[in-house]
Amino acid sequence: MSATAASNDVMIRFRGAGVTYPNGVVGLQDVSLDIRQGEFVVIVGSSGAGKSTFLRTINGLTPLSTGTVEVSGQPVPRRQGRDLRQLRARIGMVFQDFRLVRRVSVLNNVLIGRVARVAGWRSVLNLWPRADVELAFSALERVGIVDKAYTRAGELSGGQQQRVGIARALAQEPEVILADEPVASLDPVTCHQVMEDLLRINRELGITTLVNLHFLDLARRYGQRIIGLQQGRLVFDGAGRDVTDADFQRIYGRRPEEDDFLQEAST
Amino acid sequence: MNRPAPPPRRLGLWLTILIGLGAMTAWSGISIGFSVSELVCNAAGGSRLLRESWPPDFAFLPRLIGPFLETVQIALIGTVVGAVIAIPVAVLAARPVSPNWLTWILDRNFMNILRTLPDLFWAMLFATAVGFGPLAGALALSVFSVAVISKLFSESVEAIDLNLTEAVRASGGSWLQMIGLGTLPQVWPQYAAYVLYAFELNVRGSMVLGLVGAGGIGMILETQRANFEYERVTMIVLAVLVVVLLIEQFSIAVRRRLT
Amino acid sequence: MSAHPLPARRWRPGFASWTTLIVGGLLLWSLWAIEASPERLARLPAQLAQVLGFFWPVDWQYGHTRVLPAIVESIQLAWIGTIIGAALSLPLAILGASTLFPWAAKVIKGISATIRAVPEILWALYLVPIVGLGPFAGALALGINSVGMLSKLGAEVVESADLAAMEAVEAAGGSRLAAIRLGLLPQVLPELMAHWLFRFELNLRASAVLGVVGAGGVGGLLLNTLRYRQFEMAAAVLVLTVLVVLAIDMVSGSVRRKLLRG
Repeated sequence: MSATAASNDVMIRFRGAGVTYPNGVVGLQDVSLDIRQGEFVVIVGSSGAGKSTFLRTINGLTPLSTGTVEVSGQPVPRRQGRDLRQLRARIGMVFQDFRLVRRVSVLNNVLIGRVARVAGWRSVLNLWPRADVELAFSALERVGIVDKAYTRAGELSGGQQQRVGIARALAQEPEVILADEPVASLDPVTCHQVMEDLLRINRELGITTLVNLHFLDLARRYGQRIIGLQQGRLVFDGAGRDVTDADFQRIYGRRPEEDDFLQEAST
Repeated sequence: MNRPAPPPRRLGLWLTILIGLGAMTAWSGISIGFSVSELVCNAAGGSRLLRESWPPDFAFLPRLIGPFLETVQIALIGTVVGAVIAIPVAVLAARPVSPNWLTWILDRNFMNILRTLPDLFWAMLFATAVGFGPLAGALALSVFSVAVISKLFSESVEAIDLNLTEAVRASGGSWLQMIGLGTLPQVWPQYAAYVLYAFELNVRGSMVLGLVGAGGIGMILETQRANFEYERVTMIVLAVLVVVLLIEQFSIAVRRRLT
Repeated sequence: MSAHPLPARRWRPGFASWTTLIVGGLLLWSLWAIEASPERLARLPAQLAQVLGFFWPVDWQYGHTRVLPAIVESIQLAWIGTIIGAALSLPLAILGASTLFPWAAKVIKGISATIRAVPEILWALYLVPIVGLGPFAGALALGINSVGMLSKLGAEVVESADLAAMEAVEAAGGSRLAAIRLGLLPQVLPELMAHWLFRFELNLRASAVLGVVGAGGVGGLLLNTLRYRQFEMAAAVLVLTVLVVLAIDMVSGSVRRKLLRG
């Protein structure tokens, strides 16, 4: 079931990983798999299947209860601290609700991606080095909204805000990008634009990308590799183009319904 | 796509504001004699004062019961009288239900001026009129309560659902009926909360009034302070603290049930 | 209350009349206790009219030479009190937010509740013998009270803020401190500053009272003129104080609205 690969190009390695929340809810159970460098992986599953938990263990936002996760050979530290921050600096994250600071400019939001690489006093005083500002600008150019650099983030549309979120992740110059339901709050057209952006960045820069998706058609269309989770367990792992409706039925534990597709209104 | 030009930094504006605030602070600090060194130098005097204030004179406690009762009585009268007068004052100052523009603007300014005059002034004014003592305090707190309650209450009245008032109006009701049937029933819970809040403030305020001779616990505080009986002062302060916190808790509990 | 015999919604039937009865009884008892007899109350309007008559004409000369400097002093001590309150309350507001620091929040909320329960005049009572008579004691008293109030209000602002942006900063490898500075502060600072300004307005009013215990400002002037029955002078104090306070309220109010909108 798990793709075995030569250990030197493995980016993320799960071994027996499990998460039990303090309230007793099991978020993830005995997951073992490898993700190679440069892969574009889509994680599917119904809500509550553990997709978010899976992603958040990779940058330590949710600590593992059992097992291990390694990012390029280095185990994810379980405790808060410098080691964890240095690991997180190499992993960009994109959120469903964008998580921008709405009152400040797009540029300042993207500069947050540089926080771990810049001296503390500089970020406190908002005096970012020229080179980092340059990086932020090129990240904005890559997602095509550099013209909004000085606009307040809260004034942008949802799709634009998500691009700022992607630019913020890019500004980290990350090895991995984790996107947690990045299109769930967007309309169908912008959905595809954001997915295309993520795919293009994965191809052009070779950044290993993991995307949580709810919609099956999007998963099939963009996922080079699809990982299916059900109640925290790994129930599917295969290539996107091979995945069948029967596989989806297995992942969801029921027949896929209309809600599970992002109607092909336009592409 | 071209990079946009950075917006004008308006550095001058920010610098002016910053320097202005800094200058204001420096000027104020110097004028009022703010000095850390003075604070440090006086630490000796301060520690002597603290030693003198401790332990509190518990034997003094029984003699506080009378004045405390008086404080609560003053606060109660002030709150009730103020609460009743505050209703028309607040309603007339609430734009959507105020009968006309002139009444609204006059009442509104009246409310603002009322709020601006210190409670101390009212205490002295009434003390001159009726003589020093608790009655002057109760009257001063009545005015103070009108100021507090009417301000808050008129904001609540302005936020009501106007459909109801218009329904009363449409079925041929008079202005008084519109207020009585369409407006006030919507805001009674808030009103009760504000009255309780005013009562809290009044218990605290009656302490200040006592200092100028308007009865209550403040009066006994002033005599002990003037005689440098700081052990007793501490006792009074502690007792005040307990009573104020108790009343606050009571009032929070009641307000929670109301809203 | 009994003038409006309306069954208000949410209230249990009979609750209103029950309350009215008790409050009415307590009121009568209190009135009796402080010897507020009907005869005394009946004489009140005439007495008031007489006293108010003393306030005319206003002694503008006094207003010019003595009142204005005292008002300036009141503004200064209110300002310093507010600066002390704002500076100390900023970290306390963040540490006092139960959404961020559940443990520290309990301690800080307890302390600030205690501070708030003591009227500023009592703080002044202790501070005057320590730092001496004068506006410095008043400023410190206002500062202490402002810290208590502003840390409570500030903590509520922080608690209602959206913490998601903070997680984004931490996910990018930022420390807790960086997350607070970059993800939280830009959200809450305008509202906190609005509270600071409002507190300045309140401090200005309170500073008019502190003079009573010799803590500087316009209050001492008001007290002395009234005490020695110099009503024309007191009138100058009152008119000028009200005008200045209203003017400052207007300016401060418009700045606050701007802060909250922006």
